[in-house]
Amino acid sequence: MAKQKCVAMLLAGGKGSRLKELTEKLAKPAVPFGGKYRIIDFPLSNCANSGIHTVGVLTQYQPLVLNSYIGIGSAWDLDRRTGGVTVLPPYSESSEVKWYSGTASAIYQNLNYISQYDPEYVLILSGDHIYKMNYDTMLDFHIEKQADVTISVIEVPWDEASRFGIMNTDEHYNVTRFDEKPEKPESNLASMGIYIFKWSVLRDYLEMDENNPDSSNDFGKDVIPAMLADELKLVAYPFQGYWKDVGTVKSLWEANMDLLDQEQDLNMFEHSWRIYSVNPNQPPQILGTEAIVKHSLVNEGCVIDGEINHSVMFQGVEVGPNAVVKDCVVMPNARIGRGSSLERVIIMGDLEVPDHTVIHNDSDEILLITEAFLAEYTQERTKMEEA
Amino acid sequence: MKKSMLGVIDATMLPGEMGELAIHRSPAAIPFAGRYRLVDFVLSNMVNSGIQSVAIFPCSPYRSLIDHLGSGKDWDLNRKRDGLFFFPAQIKEDQLSRMAENIDYFERSEQKFVLISSCTTVANIDFVPALERFINQKCDLLEITHKGESTCTYILSLHLLMDLIKNRNETGYTSVQDAVNDQHSSFTICQYEYNGFLQRIRSIKDYYKTSMELLEKDKWSQLFNEFQPIFTKVKDEPPTKYTSNSSVTNSMIANGCNIEGEVNHSIVFRAVHIGKGSTVQNCIVMQKTKIGSNCVLEHVIFDKDVIVEDGAVLRGTPEQPLVVKKGSVESVVASS
Repeated sequence: MAKQKCVAMLLAGGKGSRLKELTEKLAKPAVPFGGKYRIIDFPLSNCANSGIHTVGVLTQYQPLVLNSYIGIGSAWDLDRRTGGVTVLPPYSESSEVKWYSGTASAIYQNLNYISQYDPEYVLILSGDHIYKMNYDTMLDFHIEKQADVTISVIEVPWDEASRFGIMNTDEHYNVTRFDEKPEKPESNLASMGIYIFKWSVLRDYLEMDENNPDSSNDFGKDVIPAMLADELKLVAYPFQGYWKDVGTVKSLWEANMDLLDQEQDLNMFEHSWRIYSVNPNQPPQILGTEAIVKHSLVNEGCVIDGEINHSVMFQGVEVGPNAVVKDCVVMPNARIGRGSSLERVIIMGDLEVPDHTVIHNDSDEILLITEAFLAEYTQERTKMEEA
Repeated sequence: MKKSMLGVIDATMLPGEMGELAIHRSPAAIPFAGRYRLVDFVLSNMVNSGIQSVAIFPCSPYRSLIDHLGSGKDWDLNRKRDGLFFFPAQIKEDQLSRMAENIDYFERSEQKFVLISSCTTVANIDFVPALERFINQKCDLLEITHKGESTCTYILSLHLLMDLIKNRNETGYTSVQDAVNDQHSSFTICQYEYNGFLQRIRSIKDYYKTSMELLEKDKWSQLFNEFQPIFTKVKDEPPTKYTSNSSVTNSMIANGCNIEGEVNHSIVFRAVHIGKGSTVQNCIVMQKTKIGSNCVLEHVIFDKDVIVEDGAVLRGTPEQPLVVKKGSVESVVASS
C-alpha cells in the first residue's frame, strides 16, 4: 500500500449518554447539528480540507446510521484510490471477540490498519466536537517542535477548567504535567482530545499499554501520563477559534444557537473551509404567504407557514399556519401542527407535533421533545379539557 | 421489464426565445426552481422510471450542461454497465442523422425500447405506465400528450428506431416526431395523456410563468414528492440564514442564502445575498447573485453572478420580465 505521511484515526464509538434519547438509536458523532450536518462532518471535513485523505473511523456503539452515513466517504471527497475513509468496527480474533474497551485499545486493535500505510505521524481525533481546524498547520508545528506528541489545547474559562483534562506547560508550550479534571486547576489550557503522535512512539506505547493489566486503556488517563513519566517530548498546540463539546442536550442546543449569535466565530458560509455533509436532496424551502422567519437558519425541504424566530430548522421540517417556534432546534422531517407554540426546546426528528401544542420551557435546562414526551403531554391535555 | 428502456434526451434545441438565458448555455442547462437545471426533470423522470442508460445529444455551447451532469453520479448513472452517454452534435444536422453518427451506441444496447424526450419539459412523470400501454396496445409509436398536445416525448422499439435511422433518406423523416406526424404512414400511433402538472419551457415568457406557478402549493406538490425525487448536482451550501431584518413570504428559497431584506413571491437560488432594506418582488434570482442594500426590484430575472449595487431600482412587467445577464453589474446610474 502506498505510504502516507499522516494517517488520521477518528474515534466515533462514543455513546454520548448525556444526550439522552438523541443517542438512543445512533452514536454521538451521528447526532444532527446546525440544520444540515452531523457532528462527524466537522472532523471529516477538517481532514479533507487539511489534505489528510487517509482516515480510519472507529465505530462501536449503534453504528448503523453512522456506517451508512459515512459510506465510502464521497460526501467529504474522501473516496480515494489509496487511503480514503475506512470504517473500523471491533472484530473477533480466533480466540476472542475484542470490544474497544478504551480509546487507546481501540487504536491498538487497528495497528495493522495504520501499519499498511507506513506513516510518520498518526493524528487521533474524536467525533464529539464542533470546530474548524487545520490539522496540517498542527502537523507543521509538531514537526517544527520535534515533538513525540503534540496535544491541541484551548483556553477555557478558569471556573470551567475542572471539567477538562488540563495541561500545565512551560513558556515553550512543553507539557510538564497533565491533570484529568483537576479540582484546583493550575492552568486553563484544556486538551481538545486531538493528538499527533510520532508513529513509532505511539506503536511502542500502545503495545506497552495493552500489556499493562492495570491500565484502563485510555489516552488521557494512561498513555499520555506514561509518556510524561518517561520524559518524552510532549508539546501543547494552542488552538484559537470556536470549539465546543456537544455532550449534553443543553450544550448541543447552545452550539446550534452559536451559529445564529456567534457567526464570526463559527462561520458555515466560509468558502475556503466548507463543512461537507451527505446531501438529503430535497427541493428548496417554501415560505408561505403568512410565514415570518427571523434570525434563523432554515435548510432545504422545509415548508414554513408559521412564525420562526431565533431557531435552527433541519431539512424537511413543516411548520403549520399560526404556529410559533422560538429559540428551538427542530430536527429533520419533524412536523409542527398549526397553532402550536414552542420555546427553548429541541424537537426530535420525524416527530409529529399535534395542532395547538403549547410547550414553553422557561427552565435553564433545554427540553428534548420526544414521542414519549408528547404522548404524556397529550394525555394530560385531554384530562385537563375533560375536567 | 423496467430495465428494458433506453433514454434519449435531445438537447439540441436552439436558444430561440430563451434569449439571454441561453447565450452561454444550452437551454437544457438553464437554472430552474431554485436549485435545478431544466434537464434535471426529464433525467430524473427517466431514472425514477427505471431507465439505466441515457444518451444525451447536446449541441454547442454545452460546457455548462456537461459540467452539471458530469459522470451522472448524482442521478446514480455512473455505472459500469450502461449509464450516461454524451453525443455532442453539429447543430446543422437533424435528429436522425445525429443518431446515425452514433449508431454503434444503439447497436450495442440490449434494451428493447427507447424513450425519446426533449430537454426542457418540466414535470414529474412516471414513464412505466406509458411503456405498459405501448406494449399492451401493440403500438409502433407512442406519444405522451398533455391536455391533448404533444410533449415531444415518444416511446418506440429500438428496432423501429434503428429502421428510422437507416431509412431516413428514403422516408425523408428527420426526426421521430416526423414519423409520428406522418398521416400516410402505416404505423400504429398511440397516445398517452399525462394529467399532472407539466409545462414546456420554450421562451423567457414560459420560463417566468412556470417558475411563478411553482409558488402555488398544488402545482409545487405535483412536481416535488419524496417518492419520485428530482435529482440535481449536489452542492455543499449551508442552510439559508435569515436575519432579524428579513421578511420573506410566498417564496421558494434555496440553501446558502443570506437574506437581510424583503422577499415576496419570488424564487431565490443558492448562495444569493439580499441586502438590508431591499425589496424583491415577483423576481427570479439565480445562484450567487449579490443584491445590495435598499434596492427595489420587481419582475426581474437575474441570471447567475449578477451584482446589484446599493439603491438600484429595476422593474419589468408580468408580461415582459426584465432579464439581467449573467455576471453583469447593475448600478444606480444604469438603472435610473
